[in-house]
Amino acid sequence: MSGAPPTGPPRLTKATQDALQGALAAEHAALWCYSLIVAFLPADQLGQAGEDSDAHMTLRTAVEKSLTDAGTPPVSAQPAYSTPQPVVDGPSAAALAVVAETDALAAWRAVVERTGNRGLRQYALDVLSAGTLRCARWRVVVNSPPAILPFPGRAGPAGPSEPAR
Amino acid sequence: MRAPIGPATSPGISRRQVLAGLLLLPPALAGCSTAPVPQGPDPLIALADAARTDAALATAAITASPNLADRVQPLVEARTAHAAALDAEVARLDPARPSTTPATTPAPAQGSATLAQVRAAVLASGEAAATAALDLPAERVGLVASVAACCNAYAEVLT
Repeated sequence: MSGAPPTGPPRLTKATQDALQGALAAEHAALWCYSLIVAFLPADQLGQAGEDSDAHMTLRTAVEKSLTDAGTPPVSAQPAYSTPQPVVDGPSAAALAVVAETDALAAWRAVVERTGNRGLRQYALDVLSAGTLRCARWRVVVNSPPAILPFPGRAGPAGPSEPAR
Repeated sequence: MRAPIGPATSPGISRRQVLAGLLLLPPALAGCSTAPVPQGPDPLIALADAARTDAALATAAITASPNLADRVQPLVEARTAHAAALDAEVARLDPARPSTTPATTPAPAQGSATLAQVRAAVLASGEAAATAALDLPAERVGLVASVAACCNAYAEVLT
């Protein structure tokens, strides 16, 4: 596992590639969301938004490289995204961060489910754990308990359409 | 609820970077899994038992220190939900198994648990779930992955 370079393109199944494309699309969307909401967030939340945006940047770069190495063109970002609720102030900006993080959790759980590669599974599991914490911080901001989702990434009633309380 | 969540500092980042390298390895190097047909007991049974034990431990911690309730009661509810979901998945594959699980690990005595014990328990549970998730078939791994992420998140914040 030391520095041996890959000797050929990783063999990713079509299902794994599709799941990674889904994760990449979610990362693109999350980055767009953070770029939007920083204009509305109060100053004491900008550090958190910056850290989270950086984390998504790292993930986007890693997934793009994996797909490229596998011979699959990575999906591009959309020029803009529709938000479930208009972003007009600090609370609605934080609510969008919850949506972005929740969507990303679902996409990364799908990666776990659609690969048998232990290295990729471990990676996606770590992304899920880190993303659960990111999501939890924003759920605290919007006062939407429980902060830590019991089943991160699972579609359900606690999904992104849930109105922030 | 205040934000008890610490900053995502270097450990996460460095691990992510290490794993980012792993992600780029071809399967032959990263280790191809295609799990063999598992022998022995369903690994989800132990995870469900751990969820029950954690919920009991967390309840005991609240009993001992009621001021922990705000931070720990959500964990009690999450681990209780984990146990139910894992039990359901165990039962799906083995409907003949008795639904009332004989507790292999006795619940801790009421009032004896500290926050540190709860954190250590949930940290171990997260690691156990993540390890199990590496070899589970696709239709079961999502649930266990979510359980692992939830436990890991609580282990980060319960300090």
